[in-house]
Amino acid sequence: MRTPGVMGVMLPAVRDGASLNQALDLGFRQVLLERGSLLSIVGALAGAARQGVAIFVNLDAVEGLAPDSAALAFLATDLGFSGVLSVKPHLLQDASRFRLRTIQRIHALDSTGLETGLHSLVSPAPYAIAIAPAVAIPQVMPIIRSITSTPVWGTGFISSAEQAAEALRAGAAVVSSARLEVWRDFSRTLVS
Amino acid sequence: MATRTTVTPGRPRAVDGSMSRLLEAFGHVPVAAVIRRGEDLPRALASQVPAVFFLRAPAFHLGPLVWAVQARGKLAFVHIDLIAGLGKDRAGIAFLARDIGVNGIITSHSGLVAAARAEKVIAVQRLLLYDDLALPSAMSALDHARPDIVEVLPGVIFPLVVNEIRSRLPLPIIVGGFVTEPAQRDAALQHGALAVSTSTAELWP
Repeated sequence: MRTPGVMGVMLPAVRDGASLNQALDLGFRQVLLERGSLLSIVGALAGAARQGVAIFVNLDAVEGLAPDSAALAFLATDLGFSGVLSVKPHLLQDASRFRLRTIQRIHALDSTGLETGLHSLVSPAPYAIAIAPAVAIPQVMPIIRSITSTPVWGTGFISSAEQAAEALRAGAAVVSSARLEVWRDFSRTLVS
Repeated sequence: MATRTTVTPGRPRAVDGSMSRLLEAFGHVPVAAVIRRGEDLPRALASQVPAVFFLRAPAFHLGPLVWAVQARGKLAFVHIDLIAGLGKDRAGIAFLARDIGVNGIITSHSGLVAAARAEKVIAVQRLLLYDDLALPSAMSALDHARPDIVEVLPGVIFPLVVNEIRSRLPLPIIVGGFVTEPAQRDAALQHGALAVSTSTAELWP
């Protein structure tokens, strides 16, 4: 859902069937499975994917999947998911072979760690990098842009639509939040 | 490699009373200098900061750097997770404590806190705030490990979670991570941080 009037996308982070349905009921056409067991709601996720909802999975935090090729093939081929997030570059390299969009998670905790993460981006370049916490994006975007022009997503600690909008204004392409209030406020505030 | 028996002349006794010394010193100057490169050290030595955090020090060439810090009456801390060449285990901490004589170690791992305590060095455990969903389990880990000090990163998140952290963890807090402006330092201190840690030399008084 590319909202009129703002350059950027809200990516609802879901963890179970209830939050998945809430995001879909609000009209979102993309979700991030951020926590919980993928296998316990695999039917609902696959159904949404068949209807054109873009589904992304945080491979580092979701339960029920091994970090290997068999799991990636399952996500891409059997379920029709759109992409995966991970801190592990080799896992994303593998994912790119399955035509999954690859989002490299990078922690923005201090300048040393952020710069190390940005300099360790490997080939093929990820589709995007996901900066955590997203609340730090306004502060760290100059550092990011001095090193890479890869699109920036943000996840973590977005607890208000205003925080999401700040990250987007700072140049993030996508911001994720796990809070229903933010999804609601975001669509209310930013759909003009 | 220096050992306890080949101590550099004038090297101070590192460990005894370090925690009370540190708390008192931060009461006067609430800033720790984070050293990312060796060339940053002289400026930290010349500053008023009471503590120096070595982030990426080479373990087996660390001694002279630590002793230079201590010779200035400052406390030297080493980030063991990021140190090159040293095992992230009890033996690694024992080396830092006994052979180098560091005042404290910094780690993200609860398991190393107990090892630091056994070696009688100050344990600073990092609380890494990259994901609000992971915060409860991260705080449980700290509650269980009971380090001497919590280092909360990044600084921009600290005001958002300070009440939650302080209600769960009655421990001194140092705020670090992208603390680059005086306003960020002041915000952390106003929210009850004992000190800030920063590699921005302009913030070293």
